[in-house]
Amino acid sequence: MSTANRIGRRLEEVPFLDRSDVSLLLVLPGLFLFSAFMLFPIVYLVGISFTNAEPSNLFAGEGAFSVLTFGEAEFVGLTNYLNVLFDGTWSLVLFGETWLTLPINGQFWNSFGITWLFVATSVLLKLVVSISIALVVTGKRVRGKRVMRSLIIAPMGLPAIFTITVWRGIFSSAEFGLANQLLTSVGFSSVAWLSQRWMAFLAYNVTEAWLAYPFMVIITVSALQDVPQELHEAAMVDGAGFVSRFFHVTLPSIKRPVLFATILTSAASFQQFLIPYVFNQGGPARQNELIVVYGYKEAFSFFQYGEGAAISIIAVLFIGAFMWLNVKRGRLADGVDEA
Amino acid sequence: MSLLRTIGRGLKADATRVVMTPVESLRNARYTIEGVRSGKIPPSRPLKTLAITLGALVFVSLLLFPLYWVLLSALSPSGGSIYSTGGFSLLPDEVSFSAFLWVLGDLILPAYDITLGIPFTNLEIVSSTPGIELLDVSDYGVTNPSGFKGFFWNSLTVAIPTVLLSMSLIVPASYALSRRKFIFRRKILFGYVLLTQVGGGLGIALLIGLYTIYVQFGLNDSKLALSVYYAATAVPFNTWLLKTYMDGIPVSYEEAAVVDGAPPWRVVTEVILPLSKAGLATVFIFTFLTGWTEFVVAQTLLGTDNYTLPVGLFSLVSEYSVPWAKFSAFALTFASPIVVVYLFAQRYIEGGLSFSGMEG
Repeated sequence: MSTANRIGRRLEEVPFLDRSDVSLLLVLPGLFLFSAFMLFPIVYLVGISFTNAEPSNLFAGEGAFSVLTFGEAEFVGLTNYLNVLFDGTWSLVLFGETWLTLPINGQFWNSFGITWLFVATSVLLKLVVSISIALVVTGKRVRGKRVMRSLIIAPMGLPAIFTITVWRGIFSSAEFGLANQLLTSVGFSSVAWLSQRWMAFLAYNVTEAWLAYPFMVIITVSALQDVPQELHEAAMVDGAGFVSRFFHVTLPSIKRPVLFATILTSAASFQQFLIPYVFNQGGPARQNELIVVYGYKEAFSFFQYGEGAAISIIAVLFIGAFMWLNVKRGRLADGVDEA
Repeated sequence: MSLLRTIGRGLKADATRVVMTPVESLRNARYTIEGVRSGKIPPSRPLKTLAITLGALVFVSLLLFPLYWVLLSALSPSGGSIYSTGGFSLLPDEVSFSAFLWVLGDLILPAYDITLGIPFTNLEIVSSTPGIELLDVSDYGVTNPSGFKGFFWNSLTVAIPTVLLSMSLIVPASYALSRRKFIFRRKILFGYVLLTQVGGGLGIALLIGLYTIYVQFGLNDSKLALSVYYAATAVPFNTWLLKTYMDGIPVSYEEAAVVDGAPPWRVVTEVILPLSKAGLATVFIFTFLTGWTEFVVAQTLLGTDNYTLPVGLFSLVSEYSVPWAKFSAFALTFASPIVVVYLFAQRYIEGGLSFSGMEG
């Protein structure tokens, strides 16, 4: 079998346009605009991450053509990535004692670790909160369920920036911060929420849970309504109480949709930017910078565009993995196949 | 106008339900009391229901308490507090709308002189429009009102081009994806579904690249360039949304039109578009809200004079000097129309969304 033969067959497989493909022209403008504003910046971001870009050299060139040469920034290879990952030291300090010192970039690994910790804690909190809300608003003995349900989902329509600035006000250490008012009214002393690392982290978690619960509640409620009543009745006949029915009947039946919602919401937690940014720009002394905030601040506050781009690329890789997981696990693409 | 009629019908159903609910529950309660009195229903059962319902109500109100708190602060004269000198109170001592007046500012249409020169003569006709004073906040003791109107205008000039551009891209694309077969159709659809999952994070991660490009082209601080970006980000989700909506329109309508001899463009304008009005309205709202509520990109790209409403809101909270009452009133004035619109749209959203890439 000669090479020419093989190439010939490959060429036959290449789809050629025919008359019906004119409809593609209706889709192309949108696709083009989207690619110009989303895909080109990705390519460009990859480019910047390989240069020593800073405002002084990145914006230096003359005219629009300098976009393609990254201004006067120079190619530095993988230096940014190596700096981001391994420059500096990181020490494990527990109870005031240094246990371990590693030659890695503490700032980055701290941000990376706190991001995953945030994903874990906030997703757990969101699950607990929204499953309990869903159980309450579908409870058999609760009256006025429909009204409660629509009230409780209403925050979904609020713009994120509204919700987050309001929660910033709640956790404010100024005179009228709601959290401190509640604490002092029951006799505790007030807390400087946003200037202590773990208190700020707690505030992030609470806000994220409040921000995301309506979406989780919608999915959980519709899953709960699909649980067959006969299962509950059978379990009750067998003498199962509320708790064991919850663990052995309800949970297994709602597992799939809730798992799907969990993946979606962990992706949202991973990319959380607004909460840390609005609350305290990523925590006292940059301790709570989630990874997207870290990349953003490295570029726009510290003017290290090259390293900021490298961090953002690392974040984009994870976000892409989440997207892929969503589509695969959630079977979102099923609709694509039909007709 | 069938869309308006549908909305009207929905509203009517809602109103009847709201009115009828107390009546219904009163009837239920009376029935239960009768039952208890005659001994048919054991008294422990209604008591248990009552207790559980009360518990649920407390739970729901705790959850929504932050919203109540904002309203309370906005209505209080100086800055809200549920913990005043008189102790813990859930109702404001005195209600004042001065914070909302501060947000709104003066509503005065100044007088204009209209000069009309008559050609070949030296005559000029000058007429002055009367100045219309709708609201002068200094009458109410409010000085130095907020920049809400400027932010509002900026938001509007960003959101309207976004809607126009994205609708003109989305409508033909979703029609083609729903009704025609062509090369790469499945690949494009799959890509769009994948991208509906993007929360705000991807946009922010790409912001470094976007910002650099905008600065080098001199496009930063341009509201039109920002709205083109918003339109681009709105394309995948809304195209998919409208496409799924159009899939629900039976093909037989089109076949009937074709049999009657309608050319393809008339099938679209007379069958598809009128039937997908609700979907179009939803997409309209979503694309509008894209530009209206986005914060990070607007804050990074725009200069102080071009700040949109979300950026204006953020600039309030980052200053310590602004009292809570003013901040809360600003936030509520910004958010409440959106919630109302959203509640309207919800009927259609829930119908059209079999999946939920709705976050962020």
